[in-house]
Formats: sequence, C-alpha cells, structure tokens
Amino acid sequence: MASSLTLSNIVAGYGAVRVLDDVSLSVGAGETVALLGTNGNGKSTLMKSIMGMVRPAAGTITATIDGTSHELVGRSTEEIVDLGVGFVPEGRRLFPKLTVTENLLLGAFRPTARSAIAKNLDFCFETFPRLKERSNQLAGSMSGGEQQMLALARALMSAPRILLIDEPSVGLAPLLVQRTIDKIKELKDGFNLTVLMAEQNFTQAVRIADRGYVIVHGKIAFTGESAEALNNNDLIREFYLGA
Amino acid sequence: MEADASLLISAVVSGLLLGGFYAAVSVGVAISFGMLDIVNIAHPAFILLGSYVAFIGNTVFGIDPILSVMITLPAFYLLGMLAYQVYYVAFERRDDQSLRGLSFFFGLLFIAEVGLILVFGVDYRSVQAWYVSGNLNLGVVELPWRLLVPFLLGLAMVGALQIFLARTFIGRAIQAVAQDQQALRLMAADPTKIKRIAFGLSFATAALGGAAMIIIQPIEPSIGREYIGRIFAICVLGGLGSFPGMVIAALTLGVVENITATFFGPSWAPAVSFGVLLITLAVRPSGILGR
Repeated sequence: MASSLTLSNIVAGYGAVRVLDDVSLSVGAGETVALLGTNGNGKSTLMKSIMGMVRPAAGTITATIDGTSHELVGRSTEEIVDLGVGFVPEGRRLFPKLTVTENLLLGAFRPTARSAIAKNLDFCFETFPRLKERSNQLAGSMSGGEQQMLALARALMSAPRILLIDEPSVGLAPLLVQRTIDKIKELKDGFNLTVLMAEQNFTQAVRIADRGYVIVHGKIAFTGESAEALNNNDLIREFYLGA
Repeated sequence: MEADASLLISAVVSGLLLGGFYAAVSVGVAISFGMLDIVNIAHPAFILLGSYVAFIGNTVFGIDPILSVMITLPAFYLLGMLAYQVYYVAFERRDDQSLRGLSFFFGLLFIAEVGLILVFGVDYRSVQAWYVSGNLNLGVVELPWRLLVPFLLGLAMVGALQIFLARTFIGRAIQAVAQDQQALRLMAADPTKIKRIAFGLSFATAALGGAAMIIIQPIEPSIGREYIGRIFAICVLGGLGSFPGMVIAALTLGVVENITATFFGPSWAPAVSFGVLLITLAVRPSGILGR
C-alpha cells in the first residue's frame, strides 16, 4: 500500500527567528526525494517539523500511511513514529551505553513493529554484517561509520513506511559516505520505503534520488523533477555548487 | 586459632546474607539514581514506611510480613508514580531538577520521617513471624532465618527486576531514558511515561525492602538515615545502571562490614566500608561493573 508525505505552506522557526518560510513539498509513494542545501538553510528544521520536534506556526503536514491520511502538525514525536514515520536524526542520537543489540531492540518499541522483530533483526544483521559482529559492543564505543549504520538499522526496526534521514554523510570519510548512501538505496528497496533525505553532499544524494528540492534561506529555491534536472540545472551550479 | 576461623566463617556467611538485604534496599535507588538520574534521597524513609505498613499488618491484622508485601507492593508502585508526577510537573518540566529536585526529596525525607514519628512514636517496633527467630542448621554454619529470608527475598526481587529490564520493551526503555530522552521519543516511547513507570517500580521495591528490614531488626523512624549513605555507596560502588554490579557491591559491603564489626568493633564498620568505596573508585571510576 502506498505511503506518501505532503507539506503545505509550512512556516516554522525558533522563537522570533523564522527558519522556514512557506515551504511546500511532497514525497510520493515509493519515491526517494533529496532535500538539498548547505548548512543553515533549514533542512534540519524541516525534518524536525515533520517529526513534531519543532511546531510549525502555520501550514499542514499530511502523511498517508498505507492509504490512510494523518495530519502530523500538533502530534507528539512518539505518536508520529508510532504512525509509521521513522527518523534517523543528525548526529545519530544512539543510546551510547546500551549495546548494539539493545539499541536495535529499542527501535522495535512501536507495538506494530514487535511482531516482526526477529525478521527485521535478521534483515538488519544481514544488511550490516558489521553490526552483527559488534552486537554486544556498546554503541558509544563504535566508529562514526558504524554508528551511522546502527542509526539507520535502528530506525528500520520500527518497521516504518516513511523514512526521514537527516544528513547521513556528516562526519564520515568520503568512501563511507558513498557506502552509506548505497545502503540507504538498498534498504529502501528491501523495505519498500518512501524516503526523504536531507543532505549537503549533492553528488552523493542525487545518485539515489528520484527527485529533489533545493532549499535556500528557508525557501524552496528549485524543484528538480528528476535527477538529471538537478544535475543539469544552471541555478544549482551557480548558487549551490558554486561552479 | 580454631575459634578465630569459625568466627571468620560465620562473619562472612552472615555478611553475605546481610548483603542480600542491602541489595533489596538499594535496588530502588539503583533504578532512580542509576537509571533515571533522579537523586531520591528520601528512598530510605519510604523503606521505613514499608516497614511500618508491615508492622501494622502484623500487629493489627495478624498478617505475615512477607504476605503483606503482596498488598503494599502495588500501593507503593502507585505512590511512586504519583511522586514522580509531582516531581515532573514542579521541577523536571521546567528544567529545574538538579538542585531544587534534590531539595524536593530532602523535604520528602523530612516529611516522611516526621510523619512516622507522629504516628508511631520513637519506640522500637518489631514483627512476629516464625522466621524472626531461630536458625537453619547446616552443620558447618548456622544461618539465622531472620537474615536468610530477607537475603532470598532481596535476591529474588533483584533477579526479577533484572529480567524485566533486560527482556521487556519497557525495561529496555527504562535503561535508555536518561541517556537521550529525545531519541527515546523517536522509538515511539514517551519518556515521561517510562520514567513514571520506573519510579513506581523504584518505590515498589521499598515495600519489600521495608518488610525485610523489620524482619532483620526492630525499627524506629530515624533508622533510615543510617541507610542513605550505605545505599548510595552501594549503587556507586557497583556501577550506576548495573544490577549485577550493585548486588556484588551489596554483598561485598555486607561481608566487609560484618568482618570489621566482628574483629574490630561495629564503630569501625562504616569507615572501612567507605574506604572500600574510595579505593574501588580510585581504581575503577565507573564502579565494579559500570558501563
């Protein structure tokens, strides 16, 4: 069944500072959409607005999960996750003093996810053999790349239908960035997910994205209806890539 | 020399039994302080409340002290949830918990203690049951029932809680909640609800700890103060967040205290216990099994 996400005219910020100004975007069923932009343009705020961690001053956010529509504005973060929207936050936000396995099992806290826990755990260990090797290690003692893998796997343990990923490449070596992005594609296909990914690394994100939005100073500056459109756009070259 | 050896054996054995009881009174703080980062300094006062409830049940209604725990356990669980709710609304929600939260529990300690004095007076109280006197004779050593029963109850309770924390979703969430509340929300769990449950459990252990205490010794309202330092020392010594570490620390402290008291006199016991704590922390700052 189809799961999609639509944001209409979102205005959001912190106190008197307005970060998002009338942002509208949509992620269609089964799509991977990239949210592109450099630091400080509002990517994370947009992600947090969807997850109920920042309350928008205006606008609506509608998530359609397996054919049923839900308005997300006004709901708590835990309710939104419980609906089937998973989030891999910037900085991973793992539980450092719990083991890899304990982190993964916590991912399946959502009642809907509990029945499939064994199957999903197997899938995560199959996709990330490194996590299986380190299953009894404390999450806080792992390398950045391994932690990012764990953060992705933990979000998948909640059996989401829509997955939001905030800056998966931050703090990773170039080779690891490429591998992480490839894994996201693999997971998306394996779980039949709808994905919205915020990313600074334009070339890597566009490799797996079906479409993309470029956000500049809290506004959608450009909508690329295909990866090629993003790649070949003069505006992006000029403003975003600086070339 | 013969006499010394048997004295030592009996000091070690009864020290281990005492340690099991220490684990029973410390496990509540191992949850609240070790896992939730809430310094509930009033915990011993609620253990004493548990003792007095067992006392009333025993003297007024003639109920066995252990049996009365079945009734007081859920009541204490609810009381703990209520205490957390007050603490949450008044302090935690406003990010005010560190210093004012501590004074809240100090206040709670005094109110509970004064309340107990007003109701029960300052006389020593005790309960009647077959296991309050008498020994289990194992040939080599004699185990006093009044120490053996709390030991078994204490370890059974800690074991049950350990299984709950390691094997259930709520249990794992309790272990995670102090590490990153926002991340816990992303697991679809409400951190406030998780903490409320954990704090309820912490209080519930005081019901059993209290019954164990009045089985071991006659009690009066200010006796709880002796336990504040000891309980927090056990939790820190064992390593915050680790039940197995806490049990090892409790047994160690029980044995060390008993040996010291037997050979050098009871007044040395606290000094030696805290010496053990300081030396352990110098070698292992995170405690015996701390993560």
